[in-house]
Amino acid sequence: MGWVYFIILLAVLFTVWHFAAIAIDRDIVLPNFAATMRQFFRNWTDARVMNGLFITLSRVVRGFGIAVAIGLPLGILMGSAKIVRDALSPFMNSIRQVPIMAWIPLALVWFGMGDGPSLFIIAISTVFPILLNTISAVMGVDPNHINAAKSMGASLPKIILTVILPSALPNFLIGARLGLGLAWMMVMCAEFVATNEGFGFLILNSQQGFQFPTLYSLVIMSGVVGYGMDLIMRLIERLLTSWRFKNAAENK
Amino acid sequence: MPLKINNVSKTFRDKKIGDNVVIRGFSTEINEGEFVTLLGPSGCGKTTLLTMVGGFQSVDSGSIALDDKEIEGPSVERGYVFQNYALFPWMTVGRNITYSLRMQGMPKDQQEARLKELLEMAHLTGHEGKFPIQLSGGMQQRVAVLRALASRPRILLLDEPLGAVDFQMREILQNELASLVEKAGTTVMMVTHDVSEAVFLSDRVLVMQSGGGKLMDDVKIDLPRPRDRSSDQFKTYTNGLTDLLRKAFKYDKER
Repeated sequence: MGWVYFIILLAVLFTVWHFAAIAIDRDIVLPNFAATMRQFFRNWTDARVMNGLFITLSRVVRGFGIAVAIGLPLGILMGSAKIVRDALSPFMNSIRQVPIMAWIPLALVWFGMGDGPSLFIIAISTVFPILLNTISAVMGVDPNHINAAKSMGASLPKIILTVILPSALPNFLIGARLGLGLAWMMVMCAEFVATNEGFGFLILNSQQGFQFPTLYSLVIMSGVVGYGMDLIMRLIERLLTSWRFKNAAENK
Repeated sequence: MPLKINNVSKTFRDKKIGDNVVIRGFSTEINEGEFVTLLGPSGCGKTTLLTMVGGFQSVDSGSIALDDKEIEGPSVERGYVFQNYALFPWMTVGRNITYSLRMQGMPKDQQEARLKELLEMAHLTGHEGKFPIQLSGGMQQRVAVLRALASRPRILLLDEPLGAVDFQMREILQNELASLVEKAGTTVMMVTHDVSEAVFLSDRVLVMQSGGGKLMDDVKIDLPRPRDRSSDQFKTYTNGLTDLLRKAFKYDKER
């Protein structure tokens, strides 16, 4: 039933917007609702917008891939060996406190204009939720699961592959989901300054060109796309850890 | 003689609370096909002893040997059933049971045949595609036993296999466990604090003294199987062991 209330709320919101926009009558504060919606739907077939979206999404996927490639093995290592954890935690806990925006000037110096700074910003904002969740997931592996595997003749690589990874997977996926959400937000920041293509650049461009219905429609679109990515992550979660979604036996 | 425990001692060392002797000079021998139970109040070191036989902890002094081979770590020769079963929740029942066979690199068709045989033995045929969470507590217990039996271990180690089960369910599961172990024909070493469970299942009961982990008495249970819990002889055994346990507890108080 929740979705019915969602539709009602959405209708209320749009109605308020429509009349408020007419009352205010200034595009810069609140553009006309119908014009914004028209632009919103036009965006999905607009080659320039879709091209920008594609560029940004491809950056997100690549940056996210880098973050997983670093965060997952490092998280497993830090989660399973206390000495590694103690040695690296101070670095991790200080680096992750640096505001993402503070990395942008540095990223520009390191990588110049283009894909580089965006990829770096995505990777650095995504890697910490993945890393932290993987560490706690590995630390939370039931020691009896590991003992059971040992008593059934599993070697260390087999234990990692068949026990530690699957048992850490649910928490890792939570980290990945949080990270992907952050990545989508942060890539826009990078694209405002470090590139002249991509979705973030389009948003900035429409603001600078005083195209307010376009600006609003793009902001809404970024929310919809982010929502879509989250849905996909949830779907992946259900597929990879389907055992968690089975109904428990009734006669316990 | 498959299992020899010779003068084993174990101390947990802790800088803050001081040393705690959990096992002190414990010796026993377990014969081929025997069902032996370690009975004792909580904190008597019985589970520690079992984990040392399992190879998850080392002995401080003395030795534990299976078929005259000293135990140095976990091995498929010793099938272990954990108190909470420790089934892998991300694997189906079938894959849980065949885990050790896969780790041994057994060919697929042989794995299938062994799985079929095991499932039939425990009346679990048709459940192999389910996940552990979808099974009742009793079925999970049987899966845990099958998983430990899959590679035909020389000895089966059971750590309070019915510890988490309520009273009514316990007797039913004890019956199931008894028939399962009888069919498998393995040597068993079990840990429990439940007197009637010990008498119902075991050939021999080793009573351990609390606080210090010494062997107090070695009681042979000479009753025909399947055992009748309401028979007078059964009650004689349970009363006798209950008295022993009381003494075991008193020793602790006097220390």
